[in-house]
Amino acid sequence: MSKRVSFGLILGGALVLGALALGAPLFAQGPGPTPIPSGEDSYCLLCHAQPEPPTLALADGSTLELRVDPATLAASVHGDPEDAPPLGCVDCHDQQAYPHQGALPADARAYRVAASARCVRCHEEQATGLADGVHYEALARGNWRAATCVDCHGAHDVQPPAEPRTRIAETCGNCHRAVFEQFRQSVHGVALFEEDDPNVPTCVDCHGVHGIAHPTTAQFRNRSPELCATCHADAELMAEYGISTNVFESYLTDFHGKTVALFEQQAEDVATNKAVCFDCHGVHDIAPVDAENSHVVRENLLATCRQCHPDATANFPDAWVGHYEPTPESQPLLFAVNTFYAILIPTVLGGFAVLIATDIFRRIRERVRKPRGEG
Amino acid sequence: MTPQTEKRTLRRAYYQRFTAAQRFEHLVLLLSFTVLALTGLPQKYADQAWAQSLIAALGGIESVRIVHRVMAVLLMAEAIYHGGVLSYKLYVLGVRPIMLPTLRDARDVWDWARYNVGLRREHPRLPRYNFGEKVEYLAVVWGTIIMVITGFMLWNPIAATKLLPGAWIPAARAAHGAEALLAVLSILIWHSYNVHIKRLNKSMFLGTLSAEEMREEHAEELERIERGEAEPTPPPHVVAQRKRVFWPYAVLMSALLVSALVWFVTFEESAITTVPRLAVRETTLSVDAEAVGVAAEGEALWSRLPCSGCHGERAQGREGLNVPLAGLELDFADFVAQVRRGPADMPAFPPEQLSDTELAHLWTWLRSLPAP
Repeated sequence: MSKRVSFGLILGGALVLGALALGAPLFAQGPGPTPIPSGEDSYCLLCHAQPEPPTLALADGSTLELRVDPATLAASVHGDPEDAPPLGCVDCHDQQAYPHQGALPADARAYRVAASARCVRCHEEQATGLADGVHYEALARGNWRAATCVDCHGAHDVQPPAEPRTRIAETCGNCHRAVFEQFRQSVHGVALFEEDDPNVPTCVDCHGVHGIAHPTTAQFRNRSPELCATCHADAELMAEYGISTNVFESYLTDFHGKTVALFEQQAEDVATNKAVCFDCHGVHDIAPVDAENSHVVRENLLATCRQCHPDATANFPDAWVGHYEPTPESQPLLFAVNTFYAILIPTVLGGFAVLIATDIFRRIRERVRKPRGEG
Repeated sequence: MTPQTEKRTLRRAYYQRFTAAQRFEHLVLLLSFTVLALTGLPQKYADQAWAQSLIAALGGIESVRIVHRVMAVLLMAEAIYHGGVLSYKLYVLGVRPIMLPTLRDARDVWDWARYNVGLRREHPRLPRYNFGEKVEYLAVVWGTIIMVITGFMLWNPIAATKLLPGAWIPAARAAHGAEALLAVLSILIWHSYNVHIKRLNKSMFLGTLSAEEMREEHAEELERIERGEAEPTPPPHVVAQRKRVFWPYAVLMSALLVSALVWFVTFEESAITTVPRLAVRETTLSVDAEAVGVAAEGEALWSRLPCSGCHGERAQGREGLNVPLAGLELDFADFVAQVRRGPADMPAFPPEQLSDTELAHLWTWLRSLPAP
């Protein structure tokens, strides 16, 4: 069974559960339903657009607001005739007749979760992605608070989700408030919110859109340097900010980076404790490297190292050469060692090679001169 | 005697060259050096495909590092043993330090090279250990010293930087890698040529060398043996007297060096032990919550703190994201650990912000509330 099918089943299950909770089929038990003409929203709006709209009392005591503002729908992406034929009420809502048929949801949340199943009819690709993501996983586990389509995109008021780009972070921030506040203060968040920077990542650039992977898995961790590198190793992009693209290469030549790269390549699902980018720079609270609150600014570096090396002393952070090419001025000792071996290795090996060459020369000459029949 | 019969005679005669103990040392060195190279060089060249395949074949980078360290211990143990043997020979038996380089070795190299290219008629008559062997022996000594010192710094970077500037660690890493490269290439070029390619010299495994080989590589030693000259040994009573000095010294030094080796290996935990990420830190509680906590104080704190933003006015939870805390069942230690850590979206509250006593009040109040 594909994930998408099970997705529909779960959402459908919400409605069935709701019906069982109520213990009765519903709404009105009149003389028989009258079909609603397709495209005739005005028929629905007779009731649903009234200033004092009907509300529906649910089994758990909560009420479901039933009012729809036709202007909101018209201003949404689904009301824009340029994209696609505008959607009418019955395109999404299953109530194809009045009085309405079917079961009442158990509570407002169950209704909302179930409502997302309707989006799948058109947005199959997104739904498939969602089915692979953490939110659906939580929903399948029985956490009804996990976000579904309408929680992020809205119901009648669906707008382009990334216009402006700040909308993305704000959407996630509706639930992930603490993370949002951190991100908003971070180097990426400030650029996004205050400078309207089109390049800085929002939530979805790192976490994905619908198929959001769990960010605490070994796989996410092992792959994370590549994730940062998608921007930070892009010379053209980084040139705009004056940020070196050597950061990724230099990380990979360091002990931490070498190890993580090998794990990523050979044992992606095995966690390594070697530092990745966000262990030092922070996760959502990344600050400019020279800022006072940066985890990696000189003054804070020792505390950052101590997260993993609790016994580290003041000299220890200097063991990290940095993300920039070492120069004789920045790393005199390292430079001296490299120079020493750059001279020693060719000298020793060259000396050996010359001596061996003379020996080979003699042996060949002896063999050539040696009269046949001897030896 | 015709040249042919002479050659046959020479081939039949064998001369003792290495004792069983020396050959065993060579085997230990052969094993440790080879495995160290096979597990070390792929770490240096971890971005190369061959290195990655080798690491994968050896069971992954963590296994490679463990094997590398085990072999490093073996090599260091061998170095300690060799030091003991050397001291015994030099002091007790009064053996001349014939592995040390002399001016004569420089002359031998020169003469040999000139002989090879035809500028000299005679092959130089070489001593028991010729220049080629001395170079190898001294290179092993030098290399081991460099590798042990730099290896210590890489194995124990936290300890090393307690005394040394941090910049020594990357320098040590560069030296460790470069010295390894030099050692491996020297073995592949000089050692391989001299004892494998030029002629397969089995004396390090069988202990003996044929007269023919002796004549070319150790002519002076061969003549000395044939003249019946033995290395002068001190009289037995002198040896016995020296042994009385040597053994206490040897036992003391061995104990010291083996302790140093154990210290080397176990010295530092923090650089290699896994510090679990986001682990709940060991919380030492400064208060007994049952005795200290006052529910009313907790209630008052709750109204001042930002907790209610997510957990609700009366900790009953909230619409949207929420975790109700009323009727809390966590024990105090777990409660403190959670607050200090800040699970999921919750900010962490360090002791500077919220003391253990305040947490005790909150805990008491939360427990007193009915579960929603």
